[in-house]
Amino acid sequence: MIHLHNLEKTYSEDGEVTKALRGISFDIKKGEFVAIMGPSGSGKSTLLHLLSFLDRPTGGTYVFNNKNVTTLTDFEMAHIRNAEMGFIFQSFNLLSRFSVFENVAMPLMYSPHVSVTHRKKLVERAVASVGLEEKLYSEAGKLSGGQKQRVAIARALVNDPDVIFADEPTGNLDSVSGAQVMGILHQLHENGRTVILVTHETYTAQFADRLIHIKDGLLESDEPIKKSRKTKEEFFK
Amino acid sequence: MRIRDSIKIAVSGVIHAKMRSFLTMLGIVIGIASVILLMSIGGSAQALIINQVKGIGSNLIFVIPGATKSGRFSAPASTQGIIIKTLVSGDVDALSRNPAIVAISPEVRGQAKIVYGNNDTDVTYLGVDSAFFPMRNFNVTEGSTFSSRDVDAYEHVVVLGSETAKTLFGGYNPVGKTVRLKDVSFTVIGVLEKKGIGAFGIDQDNIAILPLSVGQKQMLGIDYYTDITLQVSDAYNADFAKQRVTSIMRESHGITDPNKDDFTVRTQEDALSMLGTITSVLTLFLTSIAAISLIVGGIGIMNIMLVAVVERTREIGLRKAVGATTGDIMQQFLWESVILTMLGGLIGILIGSFFTVLVYLVLTYLVKMDWVFVLPSSAIWLSVGVSTITGIIFGLYPSREAARKDPIEALRYE
Repeated sequence: MIHLHNLEKTYSEDGEVTKALRGISFDIKKGEFVAIMGPSGSGKSTLLHLLSFLDRPTGGTYVFNNKNVTTLTDFEMAHIRNAEMGFIFQSFNLLSRFSVFENVAMPLMYSPHVSVTHRKKLVERAVASVGLEEKLYSEAGKLSGGQKQRVAIARALVNDPDVIFADEPTGNLDSVSGAQVMGILHQLHENGRTVILVTHETYTAQFADRLIHIKDGLLESDEPIKKSRKTKEEFFK
Repeated sequence: MRIRDSIKIAVSGVIHAKMRSFLTMLGIVIGIASVILLMSIGGSAQALIINQVKGIGSNLIFVIPGATKSGRFSAPASTQGIIIKTLVSGDVDALSRNPAIVAISPEVRGQAKIVYGNNDTDVTYLGVDSAFFPMRNFNVTEGSTFSSRDVDAYEHVVVLGSETAKTLFGGYNPVGKTVRLKDVSFTVIGVLEKKGIGAFGIDQDNIAILPLSVGQKQMLGIDYYTDITLQVSDAYNADFAKQRVTSIMRESHGITDPNKDDFTVRTQEDALSMLGTITSVLTLFLTSIAAISLIVGGIGIMNIMLVAVVERTREIGLRKAVGATTGDIMQQFLWESVILTMLGGLIGILIGSFFTVLVYLVLTYLVKMDWVFVLPSSAIWLSVGVSTITGIIFGLYPSREAARKDPIEALRYE
């Protein structure tokens, strides 16, 4: 599904060149749950932006679902983000003046093939999958932090994406809400969905099958995570 | 992205900041209301003038002393207060002989104080032939008009305008009473029906009409005419009749070179066309001034839209992250700008229409003018069009700014 080879990202500002990624290579298969970790400034967010088509690499190769990012136009990248990717952000990024329904429906607005009636069904199904049916028409700004992140997950799921990118999804949540969110992500993975999680919390990363460590823009380690039911059980407790 | 969704998001943006949206729209509201009001007033003034010109009679041709230089709007010197003595009785005789002319009335005009008992008022007096009354639709409500025999016999009779009669006699019937005009006594034989302000701003109710012979010879002591009014047969086209009258006048004055004409011939159509053009130009001028407020309003829209783009930077980033294209973002903000200006335009149309009705009611019932209510549909369509275009033009730059935002930078924006 994802193939990276020698991926680089360099920023230039006021003549100063910063190499955020200095040649990263790995593959991610469909259905994997991958956690990307690294210290602050290691390049993990840059890597997530490149993987999620929000940015373009300055070197190397990135192939997503057999599409090479370097050959795609901005318009095509926007369509791929819409149809094949789901996003969960640390700060939820909900539009507080809109209802839960309208927030979750947002990606579908940019899907020309989804009719308005079908859109309603998809939104209801996505909201039900995160257990917020009764909040469907509530104003998003009036929800609790945990509920907001669940709405964000519903929004990420609504267009049935191939992969979900989660950027520190529990960073702004208390432990109970964090556990609920990770439980949902775990469930999504169990159902065969590809999940790519960026986190700095070790216990959150334990939900993944595989842990990629980034340091100073380089791949430090890439290894499977030993399954520890205890950790998850503790987390869900 | 569907247009329906774009409009829904844009409407939500407008409603979310109600007060700000209202204040932003105010410039457009004032501009459109002014355009509607001024176009309506211009249309009404034009209709009023046309009615007045048509009301002075039908198939009329006016012969005015003095030449007119080339150009539609140049006026003969006589209309500017210069005394020109070129219209004489020989011209009237020559014109009368032409079968195309069914009625003719030379006119002389002066100003004097008219007195009855202790009451007096300044009036314009006209010396006219008996044909003047039917030709110019001057009908009496009391008594009668004078005959051609009265004109020939130098009878000292007068027909008063309704306002003059009211000033001198109050509510009493003046017929048979004697009034003095420049210390000459006249018997009132009739009172005209109310005519209002005539074409070219002449008050047709504050006048005294005398037999031509008396007015010309005894009151003014002149042997020329101020102008000659002719009525041509329905069978003749106005332009053809004008040409005939012109050639008769040239023949009568022994003129062979048209550049040496010492008279001007004008038809009612000429007057209508000239007055119509003048009011149109005035309306256009006033409307253009009002349109400046639309530009100011548009700049206000642009300013507020730029603020909205900054405020909603994270929203832009999010929309881009979930698949919005540059075009989708641009469309969303452009719709918001257009909705603001269109809404402003609609409110402006309502307010402008309200004031148009108010002006009509005030002028008709308080000022007692024969004001014509005109609310041109062109003004409404123009307003809708202009407000929409204003929204597009002034929304384009902020929308472009929004669409060009980098999604990562936008998502990070605090």
